Amino acid sequence: MKLYEHEALESIYRKFHIPAPKFVFATEPNDKVREFIEKEPAVVIKSMVLVGKRGKAGAVKVVSDKSHAISVFKDLATREVYGEKSIGALVEEKLNIQKEYYLSVTYSTKDRAPAIIFSEHGGMDIEEINPSLIFTHVVKDVRSVYPYQIRKFLVEIGFSDKEMLRPLSELIVNVYRAFWETECRLLEINPLVVAQVGDKKKLVAADAVVLLDDDASISPSVRYGARGGMGRPLTQREQDAILIDQGDHRGKAGSYVELEGDIALMTFGGGGSTVTAETAIEAGLRIANLTDIGGNPPAEKMYKIARIILSKPGLKGVLVCGGTASNTRIDVTLGEGLAKALDDMKAEGKLDPNLIWVVRRSGPEYVKGLKMLHECFVRNGIKGEIYDSQLPITEAPIRLRELMIKYIGYKPEELG
Amino acid sequence: MKGPVYLNEKTGIVVIGATGREASQVIKESEVLYPGIIKAGVTPGKGGTNELSVPVFDTLSDAVKDPKIGSSINTALIYVPPVSVLDAVMECLDGGIKVLYIITEHVPIRDSEIIYQEKVRRGAVIIGGTSLGCFVPSVGRIGAIGGKDPSIAFKAGGLVIISKSGGLTVTTAEMFKRRGWGTYCALAIGGDIISNTTYADVLTELKDDPNVKGVVMLGEPGGSYEEQAAELIQAGVFKKPVAAFISGRFQERMPEGVAFGHAGAIVERGMGKATDKIARLEKAGKKSPVKIAFYYHELVTAIESLGVPRDFEDSTTEYVKPLYSTLN
Repeated sequence: MKLYEHEALESIYRKFHIPAPKFVFATEPNDKVREFIEKEPAVVIKSMVLVGKRGKAGAVKVVSDKSHAISVFKDLATREVYGEKSIGALVEEKLNIQKEYYLSVTYSTKDRAPAIIFSEHGGMDIEEINPSLIFTHVVKDVRSVYPYQIRKFLVEIGFSDKEMLRPLSELIVNVYRAFWETECRLLEINPLVVAQVGDKKKLVAADAVVLLDDDASISPSVRYGARGGMGRPLTQREQDAILIDQGDHRGKAGSYVELEGDIALMTFGGGGSTVTAETAIEAGLRIANLTDIGGNPPAEKMYKIARIILSKPGLKGVLVCGGTASNTRIDVTLGEGLAKALDDMKAEGKLDPNLIWVVRRSGPEYVKGLKMLHECFVRNGIKGEIYDSQLPITEAPIRLRELMIKYIGYKPEELG
Repeated sequence: MKGPVYLNEKTGIVVIGATGREASQVIKESEVLYPGIIKAGVTPGKGGTNELSVPVFDTLSDAVKDPKIGSSINTALIYVPPVSVLDAVMECLDGGIKVLYIITEHVPIRDSEIIYQEKVRRGAVIIGGTSLGCFVPSVGRIGAIGGKDPSIAFKAGGLVIISKSGGLTVTTAEMFKRRGWGTYCALAIGGDIISNTTYADVLTELKDDPNVKGVVMLGEPGGSYEEQAAELIQAGVFKKPVAAFISGRFQERMPEGVAFGHAGAIVERGMGKATDKIARLEKAGKKSPVKIAFYYHELVTAIESLGVPRDFEDSTTEYVKPLYSTLN
């Protein structure tokens, strides 16, 4: 889960002694904001969004003319950045920047270890820095991390500013400790600046990108609240789906991401769902959602997610698709849960009779489960085909495409 | 010795967290399919009870000291909740177990890192987290892989299937079985960010195993484990045919950071893209027998074109008819 910058400043930087600019965060230009602006000779105002590259979108502004500060604040606190609405704005003191470094800590799958990444050429996106100017220190033993190791690393890479060697090594260890102890998957400071304060040079973390491990020992959503990953608020259907798994650990059916298409997906298993969704897209089907049902959920969970998936307006086809389950019962999920959802929706007049269906599934009790679903199709006048694993899983979306073209004149997307 | 290091004729399993819902189900099924492969279970507080068909102990130490079965235990199957996994792994490593499977999903990354570093220090083999287990048809199975009736998907043959996705491991074995190829070893390595056993680890382990006729590799976006396999192949360490499919190209059409599937399956700051992995494997394939399937089901033609011999006859027909149709 990604944190807003002010959350990282308040809850992580303070605790781990990572020096940050003076700041105030607010949703509207309240007294605190006005006082702050009054006191500082110049300020930096930033939109509070989770999306990156704010500067390029004009959502970070330096304001030295105080008469403009409040109107800039109002604009940045409410504007949309790459489609994501700001939740407020952060006002910071403007630093007298001498140098900009890049610093991050993340897990390197190459080394299967935490990696401290540093460059003297910060301030721009990491992708834009010449790779030969980026250096990595791998933490091979997480039981012991000391500043001397970092100084050795900095000397080896030819770090140029001797005066900063000790303070920088100590700061990097603090950042590493923050990463480790708060269970981050990424902590990025770009830029980490050398600022002139009076006659002294001081290191200041002028940004904070923090991604917390969703599986951390204390779930970040408990502390910071649940947060969608799409850079938009959750839709009603997405919120309803989350509730399915709450307080009931038997299997999972509550993952649902809403998209703009017209083909509903009821897909099973992480890997199976991914390859099915992807093949559907490659085949030019406009998918209406992503989902990932698995772990042998009870019929009522399947019932609920099926109703949510089918409630999206404008659907033209449905793909029910999973591999060969090891655990999930096909009679329970498809024969009972899905079939009851269809029976009830039909009775309530909520089932579109023109939908084209393709079902492909195997696993425990699949013979019985697919037969039960077929009987449900017959009694409700549902049009489609049902396959077991004789049809390779990723041929199912392709088969649906053929049927949609043949029966309802569906026009698949042309992909470039 | 029959079977690879992951699962062979000497394998004797202790299940940690044995009396839980999933673990007790797996023990019950395994006892029917491969009687005797599971030696014991460990659940603190349940030692000495008759809940399971295998003896249950309070601690691993008690299990390995048991005069009857203790010396036959060499492999641990871990089913405890995420925050207890590190503890369970340390208990097993300290108890002298050298092969461990972590079935648990959602292990904190930090704990995974500590586990990995301990594994390296002690020279143990750990598969997972988020593994579904291992299947070696000629020997047996570890974990739930294949369910109650694994014969749907598994028949002895020459393929090694390595997959981050547990479900796709079985689905792939079944797809190949229908087309005439059996499995030598199917290993679900899990999709965690810090993976204790990677594709490259498996390829290195099995490079000289004469039972291996070809490898099917199923990859995902995120991390660099697929690239590491490509490097290993290109360096000539692994020389046998490899067919690969990398899922998740569609993620690249979505906003960065959209989490779908495994914890490790996330593209961050432009790193770990499916298309980059495909390109890297294609590069390895210039001089080595590597084929990339565009669609997942094209893995079969990839293995065929690499000249991997069939283990038995193709049982499919040209055009698959639906089981049921309500059209027309």
